[in-house]
Amino acid sequence: MVKRMVSKPLSWIERLLFIDFIKGLSVTIRHAFSRTITTHYPYEKLTPPKRFRGFFGHKVVDGNEPQPAFDEWVERFNIQVEYGKSRCVVCMLCKRACPVPQLFEIEGKKLENGKRVVSVFNMNLMLCTFCGFCVDACPVDCLFQSDIHETASYTRRDSILDLETLEKIGRDWQMRREHEPDRIWIDDEQREKLWHENDLRLPEPEARGRHEW
Amino acid sequence: MESVWIDLLVVFLKIIVILAVALGVGAYLTWVERKVAAHIQRRPGPMVVGWHGLLQPIADGLKLITKEDLFPRYGNRFLYNLALVLALVPATLVFAVVPFGPEFEVFGYKVKPILTDVNVGILLVFGLGSLAVYAIALAGWASNSKYPLIGSMRKAGVIISYEVAITFAVMGPLILAGTLSTYEIVQSQIEQKLWYVWVQPIAFVVYMFSLLAETGRIPFDIQEAEAELVTGFTVEYGGMKFGIFPLVEWYIEVLTLSAIGVVLFLGGWSPINIPFVGFVDPLFFLGPLSPYVWFLLKVTALFLFILWLHWTLPRYRIDQITEIAWKVMLPLALFNIVITSIIAPLIW
Repeated sequence: MVKRMVSKPLSWIERLLFIDFIKGLSVTIRHAFSRTITTHYPYEKLTPPKRFRGFFGHKVVDGNEPQPAFDEWVERFNIQVEYGKSRCVVCMLCKRACPVPQLFEIEGKKLENGKRVVSVFNMNLMLCTFCGFCVDACPVDCLFQSDIHETASYTRRDSILDLETLEKIGRDWQMRREHEPDRIWIDDEQREKLWHENDLRLPEPEARGRHEW
Repeated sequence: MESVWIDLLVVFLKIIVILAVALGVGAYLTWVERKVAAHIQRRPGPMVVGWHGLLQPIADGLKLITKEDLFPRYGNRFLYNLALVLALVPATLVFAVVPFGPEFEVFGYKVKPILTDVNVGILLVFGLGSLAVYAIALAGWASNSKYPLIGSMRKAGVIISYEVAITFAVMGPLILAGTLSTYEIVQSQIEQKLWYVWVQPIAFVVYMFSLLAETGRIPFDIQEAEAELVTGFTVEYGGMKFGIFPLVEWYIEVLTLSAIGVVLFLGGWSPINIPFVGFVDPLFFLGPLSPYVWFLLKVTALFLFILWLHWTLPRYRIDQITEIAWKVMLPLALFNIVITSIIAPLIW
């Protein structure tokens, strides 16, 4: 196959009549009179894809834990499992995986019946880069990243997620999106439409003017 | 004695009207530009403040006025502020010789809708246009910073190159009209039943290129060059001082040069022209208002065309720009003058 590496120079008649200018201008005028493709952000919002790396959350115990890993970890650390509470087994693997470990503050406590449970789980997201290593490390599918991305706040305190907030985000997530198939842009009609509208079939290569080869 | 006071009053009224229109329209052209740019990029542009963002320029102005006034250390405060004045005043002064319509009578008193019909109007336009280079050079120098200095040097180079080309380009229509007064140029186009763009296409192209270069519009916007110079010579300006430079450069200057272009090449306030035959006026039902509407329409069309170019074309390099000026545009303009001055006396 012959691959053209350099575009043809303009002929003098093309130069004289500003053919390249006219080509460019026709492209922009066509776009100027076609429909806009934006979302009016504060009034309309897109749902991020399920794999979006947003704020963190703790999935709660609901019977869908990854087995046998969850039971093994529960047995190993003698964890008190309570329905509707965090799945966390205080293994600290998230802290080990984190590039900035001091953003995690994890503590467990011993109950009177001798079992253990997570008591403190603070994440200081001011230090976080949202790399997701902690999520990969979690052996019981507890820590995860949700689709919450509007994280601006008025105080620094609000950027620290404590156990309650994490569980709240987790419950919310499990109610809304846990059962969704793991595909991009699944529930978003507008995004879906745009996706298909821009159904890109590459045009047949043809020798046209300058800058196109 | 009576008539002197009336004359003064009329001139004063004209100044008020022209200044209000020029500055008001200049401010609102920011909105037009943002809308055009947005739609070319398939965005809606400003939509929130007012209907389709119509109050956006006011909001922007308020924000700019209430911002802190910063000044660079070791800068020259006098020149720094003088640059602002030097940018704004010559650009608005050009409106003094822009004719908006034909002569009319109010209470038996003849009024020309042009501030001063001086007989060297075009000379005045290009004299004032060249003054813009002082504003930019001073702004860059007084800021005591690298980016502004580089930007202002580039802009000075571009303006000096294109001043020559634009002056020679304008020579063609002047030969055909036989006068330098803007009002008379339009009159002679109407009498000759000919827009000069039909017989001076080369001059028109050179004029358009020079217009883009002088106003720093995009194929020639190296003095701003966001990618490399941040915003060029306005880097050290803050608040409304920063707002004035783009306002002058991108809107008021483009507006004045478009108006002068319309006067020179597109027959001012005359309706659509069929060369050598006459004029067709689809807006005849507007009666005496029709010339003003035609003038407005032509200037708007030219302005929108410039915006369209701005948001389409990429940027030239500085050496390419000066090369185009000296090696292409100047010879073309000279060639045009020679041809015109040989042929024009044979016909008229």
